[in-house]
Amino acid sequence: MNALSRLWQAWLATLQTIARDKGVVLILGLAPLIYGFFYPWPYGTQVVTRVPVAVVDLDHSNLSRQITRYVQASPRVEVRLITGDEHAAQQALWAGEIEGFAVLPRDLKRSVLRGSPAVVTVQANGSYALLNKAVSYGFSEAIGTVSAGVEIAKLEAAGQGKLQAQASRNPISTQLVALFNPTEGYGSYVVPAVALLILQQTLLMGVGMLVGLWCETGQKRADAFTWLGRLLAFCTIGWANGLLYFGWIYWLQDFPRGGNPGGALLLLACYVPAICTLGALLGVWFGNRERALQVLLFTALPVIFVSGFSWPSESLPPLLQHLRWLFPSTAGIQASLKLNQMGAPLADVAGLLGLLSLLALGCGGWLLRVTRLRQF
Amino acid sequence: MTSFWRTLLSSALREARRLRACPWDLAMVSWVPLLACAVMAWIFSAGLPQQLPIGLMDQDHSTLSRQLGRFLSATPGLKLVTSYDDTAQATQALRRTEVYAVVSIPADFSRQIKLGQAAQVTLLHNAQLGTHSGLIQRDVRTAVATLSAGIEMSARNKRGQPALTTRVAMEPIQTQLVTLFNVSLNYEQFLAAALIPALLHILAMTAGAWAVGRELRDATLGQWLGDSPGWSGASAALLGKLAWPLLSLGLVSTASLLGLTWGRGWFPPGSLAWVLLGLWGLLALSLVMGAAVAAGTLSLRTALSATGFITAPAFAFSGVGFPLQSMPVLARGWAEMLPYTHYIRLQMEQLQMGAPLRYSSLSLAGLWLATAVLGALSALLLVRATRQPARWGGR
Repeated sequence: MNALSRLWQAWLATLQTIARDKGVVLILGLAPLIYGFFYPWPYGTQVVTRVPVAVVDLDHSNLSRQITRYVQASPRVEVRLITGDEHAAQQALWAGEIEGFAVLPRDLKRSVLRGSPAVVTVQANGSYALLNKAVSYGFSEAIGTVSAGVEIAKLEAAGQGKLQAQASRNPISTQLVALFNPTEGYGSYVVPAVALLILQQTLLMGVGMLVGLWCETGQKRADAFTWLGRLLAFCTIGWANGLLYFGWIYWLQDFPRGGNPGGALLLLACYVPAICTLGALLGVWFGNRERALQVLLFTALPVIFVSGFSWPSESLPPLLQHLRWLFPSTAGIQASLKLNQMGAPLADVAGLLGLLSLLALGCGGWLLRVTRLRQF
Repeated sequence: MTSFWRTLLSSALREARRLRACPWDLAMVSWVPLLACAVMAWIFSAGLPQQLPIGLMDQDHSTLSRQLGRFLSATPGLKLVTSYDDTAQATQALRRTEVYAVVSIPADFSRQIKLGQAAQVTLLHNAQLGTHSGLIQRDVRTAVATLSAGIEMSARNKRGQPALTTRVAMEPIQTQLVTLFNVSLNYEQFLAAALIPALLHILAMTAGAWAVGRELRDATLGQWLGDSPGWSGASAALLGKLAWPLLSLGLVSTASLLGLTWGRGWFPPGSLAWVLLGLWGLLALSLVMGAAVAAGTLSLRTALSATGFITAPAFAFSGVGFPLQSMPVLARGWAEMLPYTHYIRLQMEQLQMGAPLRYSSLSLAGLWLATAVLGALSALLLVRATRQPARWGGR
């Protein structure tokens, strides 16, 4: 049998083995499909709105009622409780009924009329970053609007025109423009990155499982072309899953997508082999069918947080900044965000793709070394 | 010694021998979890991200625009790395993620201000990287607001308003933002403290599934439980078997929690003991969850797959990143069924919010009650499994 036909035979045989193996099919075929819907599920609404809050009104004036109305009008928060008792608000916060509250102090209106400082205290729950942001922005905007109205009225009373009064109140403002992920949805920020991790973890576990089994049954040692055929079979499934995510799941969930489709294909061409060779190498090391699941399940968490998408890589310890490139997901996530979501040209990701190819070659070479047929 | 305790002890001794004989199995309940927790803490050891690279596109070249540049440089969260001449350059740098945001100052910036008109600074940020962009937005807004307030103050002083009343006149009603709990928004206290239990949750359910599932895969269930064990005998054997991973993972979790709090000079306002009770409860529950799925499906592999499905996305459903109340109803329902969601609320209440213990009692009782109920069920499933020796050994 010549080399090419050995490769072809191994490719076909591996795909048949996978199709007959319920456990491997579940992880390689079904899990990516299920996770494609299951993982984005909690983020369906994308933005945090109507966070429950309380207003503690100690002033009972028309000004304090005006602030309350402005807060009620804010889409960020929903006033669940208006009370004159700060303790009640604190208890509601502990019980999880509200996520923050503002205290409108006694003499609020009198201080404003007299021109002495009036301070509204906003207390938000800092344990949850997104809730904290919604609460503090919701209150600040409402209070700021009321405050600006008071100041502009005073400036106008002092003889300034309306426009001038507005300009002298706030000479420089900041306009925020989100260049990528323009809706700033939480799901469209998290899921496109995690998708690459899901691809990696399912593929690593599936390949590791089957190669582990081959070690148990003595099928580990084979010639290079047989191994290439086997790896190609794993890659075939990995590529199909990658296309499923890039082409269909991103579209179905309406995430930013399709920035550079040709580049994305090239990324899959490098990313999937890097994972498959690493998975096979791990499978040889484990030498046991179920070990791949046992060892790899928990790794998703640390691996995603060193990839640099949710935790800035600048803030990682220096040693980790280098070690993290050993996981294909680090380069894969960065390249995919650039290509699919930001529409970067190929030149911008050439280094990342090169690294993935190196990983594939390195792991592949090592794999062929440890699985080569013994010469007697 | 009653037979319950005798069974428990002999099961524990048998498990200890098996762990000693298999370095992989021992590693997965001892030094691997310890190392994983240490790495997690290490990742977030910087606490708050600082010196995030941003660019400046100054088309005004005035004293005022340079002053804004200095304000931005002086902000610890930001690092002004380059300046760009045009939008194309800036966009390219953003796309390459060389910088995470670009502050753009328009050409007639200082002239407009001198004429008493409002001027605008534009922040182009990369919202695809949510954490980076959120932190930068906050810092840039603060820097611009500081410059803006300075201009307004000097304008008022020029008009003859005394400096003392200026501050009040500028903002008649001031908002004082008090972030309760986690005051500095320290990510080490926020994320690392939440992720380490999430990691241990995965490892514990894996360990439970492995300990029981391995007996099924190796068809050694009969050796472990005897030929026809009763419910009480199976419970005792299960307790003895799971005692090791519980003890070992419990010690790892205790060390991690103490290291992350006291070890880093953080003295949480609530009860650390309560959190530890909750954490041990979460681990015990995760272990019996793994055992129950293995005994129920009679397959180590299925039990491990189920472990991945339940525990790996538990953090995403927990409400720590994206709030529970903003999730679709059914997703929230799933989240409320996951033990990690309840544990992490308890931990937040005690470590961050300093809530009185009664607010955290229900979740603590729930974790241990669920452990007892599921443990009893697992024993029942094990008794059933011993009667089906033909189905042992499935892969």
